[in-house]
Amino acid sequence: MNNLFKFTIGIFLSLGVAWLAFVVGARAQFGDLSPSPESLDEDGNIPVDADLFPHPLSGLAEQGSKEYLSLGCMTCHTQQVRMVEAGFDVERGWGSRPSVARDYIHQEHVMLGNTRIGPDLANVGNRHTDLEWLHQHLFEPQSVVPLSLCPPSPFLYDEVDSPTGKAITIIDDSNISRYIVPSIRAKRLVSYLSSLHQDYELPEMAYVIDPDDAVVSSDTDIPSTEPDQNQTSLPSWLSDQMASGKEIYMKAAPGGGLCFTCHQPNGEGLAGQFPPLAGSDWVLGDKERLIKISIHGLMGEIVVNGITYNNVMAPPGIPPGSLTDQQIADVLTYIRNDWGNSASAVTSFEVSAVRTKLKGRAPMQMFTAAELNAEEK
Amino acid sequence: MFPLTKRIDLIVKLNPEQIIDKSLKVVVCFFVASAGLWLLAAALFAYIASAKLTDPYFLSSFEFFTFGKIKLAQANAFVYGWGGNSIFAVTLWVVSRLAQAEARGRVILVFAGIIWNLAITFGLLGILDGHMTPHEMLEMPTEVWPALFISYCIIAFFILVVHRSRKNKNTIAPQWFLLSSLLWFPLLFLIAWNGLEINSARGTVQSVLSMWFGQSLIWLWLTPVALGSAYYIIPAILGRPIDKYYLAVFGFWCIATLAPWSVVHHLEGGPVPMWIPAIGTVMSIAMIFPIAVASTNFHSTAFLDVSKVWDSLPLRFVIFGTLSYTISSYIGVIFSLPAVAKITQFSIINDFHFNQRVYGFFSMIIFGMVYHILPRLTGNEIAKSAKAFHFWTSAFGVLILLLAYLIGGLTHGVLAQQPSLDWASSVLSSVMPYFFITELAFIVLGFSQLVFVINVWKAIFPNPFYFISSNDDASSKEVAA
Repeated sequence: MNNLFKFTIGIFLSLGVAWLAFVVGARAQFGDLSPSPESLDEDGNIPVDADLFPHPLSGLAEQGSKEYLSLGCMTCHTQQVRMVEAGFDVERGWGSRPSVARDYIHQEHVMLGNTRIGPDLANVGNRHTDLEWLHQHLFEPQSVVPLSLCPPSPFLYDEVDSPTGKAITIIDDSNISRYIVPSIRAKRLVSYLSSLHQDYELPEMAYVIDPDDAVVSSDTDIPSTEPDQNQTSLPSWLSDQMASGKEIYMKAAPGGGLCFTCHQPNGEGLAGQFPPLAGSDWVLGDKERLIKISIHGLMGEIVVNGITYNNVMAPPGIPPGSLTDQQIADVLTYIRNDWGNSASAVTSFEVSAVRTKLKGRAPMQMFTAAELNAEEK
Repeated sequence: MFPLTKRIDLIVKLNPEQIIDKSLKVVVCFFVASAGLWLLAAALFAYIASAKLTDPYFLSSFEFFTFGKIKLAQANAFVYGWGGNSIFAVTLWVVSRLAQAEARGRVILVFAGIIWNLAITFGLLGILDGHMTPHEMLEMPTEVWPALFISYCIIAFFILVVHRSRKNKNTIAPQWFLLSSLLWFPLLFLIAWNGLEINSARGTVQSVLSMWFGQSLIWLWLTPVALGSAYYIIPAILGRPIDKYYLAVFGFWCIATLAPWSVVHHLEGGPVPMWIPAIGTVMSIAMIFPIAVASTNFHSTAFLDVSKVWDSLPLRFVIFGTLSYTISSYIGVIFSLPAVAKITQFSIINDFHFNQRVYGFFSMIIFGMVYHILPRLTGNEIAKSAKAFHFWTSAFGVLILLLAYLIGGLTHGVLAQQPSLDWASSVLSSVMPYFFITELAFIVLGFSQLVFVINVWKAIFPNPFYFISSNDDASSKEVAA
């Protein structure tokens, strides 16, 4: 104790042992979980063509999680359904099964929270499929939940005088209707909230639905009553990804992709100058090629649907090459599924895998079609 | 400037302690004065947050004042602003006094202190502007942490330098506690920073780490400073040694080895492996030993001379703190048992734990220490009635605050476990009266802290209009002449 050096060693050791357990040990045990199908086959392998859960957040919802964080929502809201023996969260209807570690692997910031002045939000996307309700709640919680203690967020909305196409109606206690138009921040937040649902099974956490509860859980499979009629056939995670992809495709500001200026809003390109995306054999073909182009850009001659084009495409994004993995996944999913295209979605994992592969390549060293075709063979 | 001081030392024979105090005066006063200002800021945030719980429309049209942000700003202003500055002040003073050595690098210390305070200011503005991180007690934006860390290391380094130059090579309990807290914070921070920002962990490993940091910070940074101060001031004022002092070393190493394990029991039933909350519960129960040791040391010494404790206001504050530490730590042990934890886990009992530790225990002891230190440094006594007013309002405010959070938290938890009760109209409405009481308590505490800050600033600047009045004196002398 009298030697400062030995004392320091002791102090550090006492903390170091706990660090070994909670940081090194915890990381080794469950720090590298990957998405999993709802159940494994008898040999414990992933069945072919199985859908992997949890689904990644769409770009819009990912932005929304940042709004959730920056508004301090997690001070009052948890996002965890506890084990059945630890509390009555499932009975309260806050989830059909307890949360497990794998549910959180896609979240950049895990916001479990530790106080419930408001209800748990781990499954809020299931409980409130009506986006309008969520907007009403954000604008003025007391208009939909009397006696709520949630602070209103009028700064996320523009109030208008008359009901227009996009306006949402709020009826306050004195029965006066007010009309609000959600800002992009409000849309992101709502997209995030509706993406919160742990309604899939995982190998470590299967659940049996009570016949009584069946009504509740079957509700969740019906796509939300969004006004977007032409997208109701898509599962909600895909339509979110599409919406976010479209936003990036059409956006000409930082964070956008600036795609439409050349490939045109209708995906037809410009004859002789810019190749089309609609019906393109490149867009509907190999994903890896597409991802490579989206990361590093493309220059030189390229043959699309039998027609030769010769131009330069800088890495998409403003500034060039600034799109994140998730944004690239969203925009590629979008171009593969709009204008009559229909092909599998791209996930951020695929993008990050390709990005790792291309680590040594200089950011602005663009691909050529010849190079990509050579790699193909 | 320095030759002049030396000459004064020659003329007026100062004893060694006065020479040490002289070397500390500017630095310690700087830290105490800024700690006081942060305390006021935290009190204001605390009031706004509690008022927003009773009326969600209060200030609701300003995004700046969203409940979640204000609440985090309060916790950070309290722990880093008030806690950090007062830790520097108290540690520096006690370590120098015990080492019988003068402070070194005073200019650099003040400079580092200014950086520390500026960084917290920017950090809080960042939180209010919505740039917080989701990690417990690391909520301030990532940009300010390097500045905080570097300024902390500079301050810690100069305190360690003073300790190294001590005259008596044997160390005693206050030194162990104060120095360990000084060393734990940077290590804790580096571990958490590495796991959360540099090699960011995936999934709920983040939550384990962030909870571990947030709770350990209270146990390993604030708590040891308060315990070390109590080990220093009780024998110093009473003039008698700590009773059963041989236990102190056992208590110290118990805290060092158990506390970092005991803090993760808040994840009971959560999406993490079972061993994490389980080990937290076991270690929380084992914490009975260090709590008992500290409590025995303090109280069996203090109760040998109750009237002296009562007469000395600094000691009255400290004994209030140690009593509150004992009682509420035992309550904390009970709440870590799984059967109880499942009821209270997510209720406002968390606010009880936070406030009992930083208010009822840490702050009360620091108040006592500041009242003990300041008159020695500045030579200005603080009026006893002002200190007594501060004591009674603080004691009353803390008591009703903690009772409201305790009973309110139990109500909240028990009702939340009834799945048939509607959340807003039944569960929250039943907790509502307790929110009103906490609002009242924060108003009382706000006044009490205002009195504290006025006391402190009056002791540091007995005559704020010194320059003007000294001119007057000069001119009046001229007239008289």
